[in-house]
Amino acid sequence: MDIQLNKEDQAFQKEVHDFIRDNWTNAKATDPLSRYMDWVKALVAKGWTVQKWPKEHGGTGWNTIQHYIWQKETSVANAPGLPPFGVSMVGPIIYTYGNETQKKQHLPGIVDQSVRWCQGYSEPGAGSDLAALKTKAELTPDGKHYIVNGSKIWTTMAHTAHWMFCLTRTDNSGKKQEGITFLLMDMADPGIEVKPIITLGGNHHVNTVHFTNVKVPVENRIGDEGKGWTYAKGLLQHERTGLAGITRSAMALQDLKDNAHRIPDGNGTLADNRAYQMKLARLEIDLQALEFLELRTMITVSEGKAPGPESSILKLKGTQAQQAIAEITMESAGYYASPWGNPVGLKFGKGAMNKYLDGRASTIYGGASEVQRDVIAKRVLGL
Amino acid sequence: MEFTFTEEQNLLRESVRKFVNDNYHLETRLKQAAQGEGFSRKHWKTFADLGWLAIPFSEDDGGINGTSVETSIVMEEFGKGLVLEPYLATVVMAGTALRLAANSEQKNKYITGIIDGSLIGTFAFVEKEARYNLNFVQCAAVKNGDSYVLNGRKSLAYNAESADFIIVVARSSGAVADENGISLFIVPANSDGLSLQNYPTVDGCRASEVHIKDVKVAASQLLGEEGKALSIIKAVLDEAIIAVCSEAVGAMELLYKDTVSYTKQRVQFDHPLSEFQVLQHRMVDMFIETEASRSLLMKATQEMADHLPCARKTVHGLKAMVGASSKFVGENAVQLHGGMGVTEELRVGHYFKRLTVIKTLFGSEDYHLEAFINFSE
Repeated sequence: MDIQLNKEDQAFQKEVHDFIRDNWTNAKATDPLSRYMDWVKALVAKGWTVQKWPKEHGGTGWNTIQHYIWQKETSVANAPGLPPFGVSMVGPIIYTYGNETQKKQHLPGIVDQSVRWCQGYSEPGAGSDLAALKTKAELTPDGKHYIVNGSKIWTTMAHTAHWMFCLTRTDNSGKKQEGITFLLMDMADPGIEVKPIITLGGNHHVNTVHFTNVKVPVENRIGDEGKGWTYAKGLLQHERTGLAGITRSAMALQDLKDNAHRIPDGNGTLADNRAYQMKLARLEIDLQALEFLELRTMITVSEGKAPGPESSILKLKGTQAQQAIAEITMESAGYYASPWGNPVGLKFGKGAMNKYLDGRASTIYGGASEVQRDVIAKRVLGL
Repeated sequence: MEFTFTEEQNLLRESVRKFVNDNYHLETRLKQAAQGEGFSRKHWKTFADLGWLAIPFSEDDGGINGTSVETSIVMEEFGKGLVLEPYLATVVMAGTALRLAANSEQKNKYITGIIDGSLIGTFAFVEKEARYNLNFVQCAAVKNGDSYVLNGRKSLAYNAESADFIIVVARSSGAVADENGISLFIVPANSDGLSLQNYPTVDGCRASEVHIKDVKVAASQLLGEEGKALSIIKAVLDEAIIAVCSEAVGAMELLYKDTVSYTKQRVQFDHPLSEFQVLQHRMVDMFIETEASRSLLMKATQEMADHLPCARKTVHGLKAMVGASSKFVGENAVQLHGGMGVTEELRVGHYFKRLTVIKTLFGSEDYHLEAFINFSE
């Protein structure tokens, strides 16, 4: 949506716009991987990798409107974001709950993007019911190491990660939310085995990770033993809001509208199809409401207040919108949605069906939609 | 653009909320709707005393220079009580037409009268054959010397039976669906040849068919430029849509909250209904629909207040979304109240009626989706 900006924010918007134009839109590299790597390098050089962190750890000190401008401009240019595992997930936990040694060891690698992280939360027996996790961490008699045994699943990018932040069980005696310990694990350690899982779209993003007597130094524990759930919980809420991707969906919808004029439909184009237009219109209206809701939440949080009950809607509705976009994109490709790898058809429809299929995961990960409804029922409606 | 409310706006909300809590219980509301003019003149006087009737008018005209945001706050709180007083007809609709098009003499008389509570007005624009098309106007105005003669019929003019003046949309030139040639006339309610057929609406409000037969109106009663009224009418409708959507958001909030309370006390199969997950999730969806509509309403009111060109598109989207949301929330409030939901005894049914009426006012969901798609700045 359009918001009125003051002079300072206008200047900032121009700076962001020019940066994206020079380093992404008009990038020199032509193959996708080098283009992405160059973009990350530019972000590192500019000091814009960990924007929301406190300044002392490398953050930008931007205000809410400036964060919104960044989100908007990158969405417009379709510029990729950084993997969230270091920047938005473990980083904030380390600078909030970690000790000085841990901060010195781990934060710089996230700021300069030299270290890749993955998240060891879900387990075969602990999905939406995350606190049911069983991966066992036992302290050695000398108190110097934890011996970790068990399995993690749906671990995104575990196959390329250098480090994992991991929830382990150190005590079984109390409530299941107690006795969970937050460990940082070096993926090169002996006893860690990563196996790929191929999702419906034919992609390898997620993995299972097995631990067999993995020796983790006790120095790699964040905070106190048994308090890991508390550290992870705050993050989950943050993760959920971050998963909504509303601005990006709004831009994708704009692309769909523009493309409709280019997609042949007999003598006319898809833009002449009223049913198709109605579907797009409904989605656009939903996204306008969500965008404003997201801004309301951002502003509330920036004023130091807790986000209101309305923020709990963002993950739930935002992922639905993403799925709707994927579905309509696939529909608009018509016959050309199904050829594997899309050797034929229109460029915009490339991989449309694969994206649709893989996209079904978004209402499952980060707390399934049904779990989100349980949370709203309990916390907001008092049921 | 603001994303939260100012201190003054919060105070306004509090004062309207207090009025509604003190004066609008289901029983008194039903009694009031059934008797006399269907609303309370005493309450109307209170509105005047509290300055609510002055909200959208400029300070030069004796108003307090409020925007759509303030109107929306008042209407949302009114929506929680199903307030019957003719705020929509007089302040929002007739008021918008007057503040945008009236000359200083007309402002002096009519805006001053609205603000001090002495004049009630309404905006008669609906025609039987037009459906939701604003430019389709058959009611005719023929100039004759220094006056106009009006003939035709207008439908569903809210609170016309109480009105001192009726702003009539009439065609002064051109073919029936032309965008040009539409004019507005401030017609005194006691004009010769003007007759009303009054009726209640399903939600307990009052409206009238306005039969206009050779009604002679002085040229000084022409509101705005002759033949150029369409843009004014559209602006009136924008404000009216904001107003009823605000009412709807207030009513939806009340409905999901009432439903939560009801399911906590109603026991079936040895459990309160609120313990059944299928019902919990339904109520969560009712809450989500309400909040989504509220967010779009806030966006629309802010854009209107900032006079952004895209505001009208958002208003179209808003009316479409509120149509769908209020159906979902209203139907499920009734459903979760079980048999009691379909009786006149509980208040949920009455809020559902108002929401259902609002769906039909000022353009249906389909109409506004079309308008949203076709919109260009």
